[in-house]
Amino acid sequence: MQDEPSLSGRAIRDLCASVVRMLAIVFAGTSLGDSKAEDVDFQKRIAPILSARCVGCHQPGKTKGGLDLTSASAAMKGGDSGPSWTIGNSSDSEIVARITPEEPGAKADMPRQGEALTAAEIVLISKWIDQGARWPESLVLKEKSKADAATWWSLQKLADVDPPEMPADFPSNWAANPIDAFIATGLAREGLKPNAEADKRTLLRRATFDLTGLPPTPEEMQTFLADPRPDAFERQVDKLLASPRYGERWGRYWLDVVRFGESNGFERNVLIDNAWPFRDYVIRSLNQDKPFGQMIREHLAGDAVSPDFPPDKIGVAFLTVGPYDDVGNQDPVQAAQIRANTVDDMIVATGSAFLGLTIGCARCHDHKFDPIAQSDYFKLQSAFAGVRQGAQTLATPSMISLRNRLTKPLDERRAATKARLAALEKRFQERVARQSPNDLKNWPKPVVSPQGASEPFPEKPILRIRLTILNNDRDPNSAVDARIDELELWTREPQSRNVALVDEGTRIEAPSRKPGDFGDAYAPELMIDGKYGAAWISPATPAVITITLPKRTPLAEMKFSSDRTGAITGRSPYNVFVGDYILEISQDGETWETIADASQERPAVSEAHQQARRSRAGYDSEEAAERDLLNGQLAEIDRETAAVPNFPSAWLGNFSQPPEATHVQIGGDPQKKGEKISPGSLSYLSHVIPGFELSPDAPEALRRESLADWIAAPTNPLTWRVLANRIWYLHFGTGLVETPGDFGYMGGKPSHPELLDWLASRLIVEQGRWKPLHRLIMTSQAYRQSSAARPEPMSKDSGSRNLWRYPPRRLEGEQIRDAMLATAGVLDETRGGPGFRLFQYLQDNVATYVSLDDPGPETWRRTVYHQAPRAARIDYLTDFDCPDNAQSAPSRVATVTPLQSMTQWNHRFTLRMAEKLADRVSGVAKPHERVDRMYVLVYQRHATEAERAEGAALAEQAGWTNLARVLLNSNEFLYVE
Amino acid sequence: MSNEIRDVNLSPKMLSLANPMRRWLDRRGFFGDVAAGILGVALMDLDRVEAQTKNSSSNSFEEWQPGSPQFRPKARQVLHIFCPGAASHIDLWDYKPALAQYHGTPLPGGESFLSFQGKNGNLMKSPWPFVRAGESGKPITSMLPHMARHADDIAFLHGMVSRTNTHGPGCIFMNTGFVREGFPSAGAWVGYALGSLNDNLPRFVAMPDVRGEPPNGKANWSNGFLPASYQAVPMSAQQAIRNINPPPEISSDAERAARAYLEKVNRRYAEMHADNTELTARVSSYELAARMQLAAPEAAGIDHEPKHIKSLYGMNDPNPLKAAYARNCIMARRFLERGVRYVSLYCASRASGVDGLLNWDAHKTLKADYERHCPIFDQPTAALLSDLKARGLLDEDVLVLWTTEFGRMPTHQEGTTGRDHNPDAFTCWMMGAGIKGGSSYGATDDFGRKSVENITTVHDFYATVLHLMGLNHERLTYYHNGTNRRLTDVHGHVIKEILA
Repeated sequence: MQDEPSLSGRAIRDLCASVVRMLAIVFAGTSLGDSKAEDVDFQKRIAPILSARCVGCHQPGKTKGGLDLTSASAAMKGGDSGPSWTIGNSSDSEIVARITPEEPGAKADMPRQGEALTAAEIVLISKWIDQGARWPESLVLKEKSKADAATWWSLQKLADVDPPEMPADFPSNWAANPIDAFIATGLAREGLKPNAEADKRTLLRRATFDLTGLPPTPEEMQTFLADPRPDAFERQVDKLLASPRYGERWGRYWLDVVRFGESNGFERNVLIDNAWPFRDYVIRSLNQDKPFGQMIREHLAGDAVSPDFPPDKIGVAFLTVGPYDDVGNQDPVQAAQIRANTVDDMIVATGSAFLGLTIGCARCHDHKFDPIAQSDYFKLQSAFAGVRQGAQTLATPSMISLRNRLTKPLDERRAATKARLAALEKRFQERVARQSPNDLKNWPKPVVSPQGASEPFPEKPILRIRLTILNNDRDPNSAVDARIDELELWTREPQSRNVALVDEGTRIEAPSRKPGDFGDAYAPELMIDGKYGAAWISPATPAVITITLPKRTPLAEMKFSSDRTGAITGRSPYNVFVGDYILEISQDGETWETIADASQERPAVSEAHQQARRSRAGYDSEEAAERDLLNGQLAEIDRETAAVPNFPSAWLGNFSQPPEATHVQIGGDPQKKGEKISPGSLSYLSHVIPGFELSPDAPEALRRESLADWIAAPTNPLTWRVLANRIWYLHFGTGLVETPGDFGYMGGKPSHPELLDWLASRLIVEQGRWKPLHRLIMTSQAYRQSSAARPEPMSKDSGSRNLWRYPPRRLEGEQIRDAMLATAGVLDETRGGPGFRLFQYLQDNVATYVSLDDPGPETWRRTVYHQAPRAARIDYLTDFDCPDNAQSAPSRVATVTPLQSMTQWNHRFTLRMAEKLADRVSGVAKPHERVDRMYVLVYQRHATEAERAEGAALAEQAGWTNLARVLLNSNEFLYVE
Repeated sequence: MSNEIRDVNLSPKMLSLANPMRRWLDRRGFFGDVAAGILGVALMDLDRVEAQTKNSSSNSFEEWQPGSPQFRPKARQVLHIFCPGAASHIDLWDYKPALAQYHGTPLPGGESFLSFQGKNGNLMKSPWPFVRAGESGKPITSMLPHMARHADDIAFLHGMVSRTNTHGPGCIFMNTGFVREGFPSAGAWVGYALGSLNDNLPRFVAMPDVRGEPPNGKANWSNGFLPASYQAVPMSAQQAIRNINPPPEISSDAERAARAYLEKVNRRYAEMHADNTELTARVSSYELAARMQLAAPEAAGIDHEPKHIKSLYGMNDPNPLKAAYARNCIMARRFLERGVRYVSLYCASRASGVDGLLNWDAHKTLKADYERHCPIFDQPTAALLSDLKARGLLDEDVLVLWTTEFGRMPTHQEGTTGRDHNPDAFTCWMMGAGIKGGSSYGATDDFGRKSVENITTVHDFYATVLHLMGLNHERLTYYHNGTNRRLTDVHGHVIKEILA
């Protein structure tokens, strides 16, 4: 061993090792004692220790101290301190020295993290070395995950549990709902007592926000308060569950879970305008109380399971509503990596949404914490290998054929009319050409080059120049997009120089394309700044550029270009140049003289441009009459066509058979192919449910469908535990498992494991329908109790994990905005369809999102219908913790920040809502009663005497709008008790 | 954003008292009046308490809790200057004489190579000479004469590598340590770890260029999965903090009366629900907002700067882009002076319909493009560094970072006089508190095509930044969707060679 300086330490360690061994023999009455004569079995006894305790830091890719302990040869090769052991001599073995403490009770050098090895383990390793350290060469160790499939709680079958006996001393109304038996048992164990039932007002406010995301109306409140029936609350819950607002509230949560967004993210981040059908699908599915298994099948394979029913088929958009990079990349290595990242998003989303596991962590290596093999990750990659982003027409074959029957005659008429128009145009062109047979000769100059058009000037001093661009070199009818990188005016003198320079005092005026975030991006000054590269871009047809020189100057030539350096090859939107133009000069700045005119002498750039130029000569009256007639017919045909309902195009994804089988990517690198993968079930549940395995070239859709069936199986314990927990989470603010998206080792453990399994089993009994579970939970006493704080349980369980009270909480961002709209009486409850925008959308190659200062009434819809871009900061939503949805957001936090207060207090939306609320109560004449009316609308309760007086006083001083503004900012409005 | 703006008031002793209590209390925990008095700050700090609750539930072996450094820091603040578009290392900082020597000849071994936009031509020398600068004699492009004067204070990292050759992912990689969206930026991490130094200003400010946002936009200063309060507040000469003032039609008397009544109503409700600490925090957050309403315009008040400062930065330069950037540079200094923890300052913006004006992405006309960009960047940045230095802020306070998303090819792009993207080599640098000036670490090959010596990853870069801030990058974690996430992912080594 090379660490000579620690020789004395070594001696002590050796001694310790001997002592430990001795002790172990003394105390080993069992496993070690009777194995004296036997060889230590490497695979059974040693490999598990190395995998669990050593390999984490000593494996390929992570060789702490230069050491790899995953194979016999690597271990013998050793690390910075030499070979790991000396065969047959444990006392001269590095590994034994490292794992043995220097003195009893001290910490051994290794393992650095985690607990020390036990004496028995050290003895076992020593003995194995002494016996020859036999390690089959083919046996390569892997790091053992922290959780084990055979024992980790969430990977076991659902326990068959019955509600426990109700503990003594609980109120009698706790006996009715089985959930309460579980909760009461937990409370009794902790010595806690529950709260009494909340008052009816509180209860209805809680339940209404909970199920619909909105406050109850004063009328609903009044009806409920006046309902004396013992099951009045149950009836309310049923009513709320039947409301279409239910899907809007709970759909919003599911959209968080599935990272739904409506722009692609990354550099371009462009809006996707046809992703909203998926949002409506989610809302509709929940309102229909669709069985969750069916939703899973539709999410993963809607195209296969519901090919002829678009409303369900659209569920498959789940796979493609995540962020993806769509910037083209010519580098094949990078392109493969981007594609792998795109599929990774689908894998991670699937794992998180349905299985509550972080499968993405197994992309580069086996999962460190959970028993997810890297091959499991690639089984999912093979399932999604044929999925790509994109839109599809939503229609069944029979719908398409019906539509075709209706549109076919129209199409035929349109074609015939267009043919007549074309014939007319042809006759016209021939006539003009006949009448001026030499027009081609009239255009003698060569086609202008984007690298520079030249125009000579007559011999006179010039003050101003006007260039009118009639069209660009692509489209004879449009000058839009024509660009000029530099425009030069060369003087008429022996040392000719360019005077078209901003720095020389030359001025230029022209309209230019103005991106919303930086209006000067294509400013006309870029034409005369003396630098190529950046360019002016035309926004209009025609586009007029006027140049004024500082003084009259004799000029020889004008030169202009779109790509002076010739950097851009081929047809590209980046080198659209000027087509036809008129050039005029002025000596005095007022009278103009044409020196070049497209209609006379400019070169023609294409046949289309030549025809357009001839057309400028004009149709005669007969021709014009025929043209107008035909155009009128065409317009009529278009009107009739528009009357036939068209099929929507929706962001559904595109599906095609992958050209080759999937392989493991070693280290997550697409360039490093590992073993071939067959699409199949994930290994870590193989001990509880039957799996499946397809051939590596199985049909693409079958892979996804089989995966969906496997996930949705009633016997899959994860799927149903995860769903039950999500539903519980949203009702109480905390899940039975605190981490709704992670049921693995790094996640939380269930506070009430039996209840979780019982709820999951209920879901299965109810065929995966959510509504029965909502009803069950909400009618429990655990849910119905008040949120009042009592000092004693607060000190024991401040977070109410045992549910001794209903945990109060702030409304979510969407709820706050929606409640403001509802309270002000202006909520537009238009359901579904394209979303509204709380941002200005600026797109200039890439997208920029600017939050609106004063969103108009067209935005006063429920927030779930907001078109949700990624990486945008939207007032209210971002401030109040609405997630960006770049990744699944299985739970939200509620922060308190000054910026949040600024928005809520100062934003014009608050002012608008305050004004509307003030208007809404303006019919109440007496100030005190008006205050009370406002309280009823905002808080669903009456104002106290003091509040009436104070409110009226403020209204007198600052106006009713300001009183409304205060109430809409108040804690009582923002919190649910 | 900055709800724990008042952390600075907590002495270490109070923090050590606060931490166990924080752990004991969860975010809806029971606070007696006494505890609330002691922990007035913690009341403001709900998202952090939330974070701790989560972290502590996940077998965290650490004793450290966010709110203070883990060990004695060398720097307290960060000025992060970012030149989006992939500013060319070989045309600015990384002198390659071989490029001139072999100009016009093929890159050895590079014939069939395809980069971002496709094929590449022969080697192309930098259009301008390099000049030796300072006592260290560091060659810097002659296009950056002002910056060259700082060469002796800068530690160059010439062996940087990225994981992507695409701007969007490249920018967020450089800012968040991940090429995918949804991760917190370095400024968010630092704010989360250390809290704020100022009562009345955001702790993390993003200053986009007047030309717009960088590639991938707001994701560059996102809080990712950290609570929303950790994202940057955009605030620059061209853009005040949003919603900082009430609508103008509300008179100041009405505003005052309404505010006072809101406070009364909210306090009353909070007293009735004394268990819920969030409610008190909300009362305070309105007070903080009111203070920020006064403090932010003061901090942004560059027009009051003396004339010599304005001209030092080039604030009144006839080039409007340079003048605009100069204004942001002065403002950045004012933010740092007032204790903003992390300032992200951008020089240039996104991709556009025409290369050359908006950012450093010189695919086609490198010479023309950089003759635009260098003058915008050079004087104002150099003035900012000089000014910070003159005020003593670079000794123990401000760590300066200069970054871009990746480098450019030593060859010209086929058919052009520009360069394509090069993720395999680029230069970043650091300067100021804790940095060994006049040093260079890492190197590219003879042509600048690939980093070959002391290769430095973005994770190494941030391991070093966090180290200087008194944070071990492996111990600054936040639980999210199944794992304890880090700014440095599962990588990163502190670059000791550039530490003072």
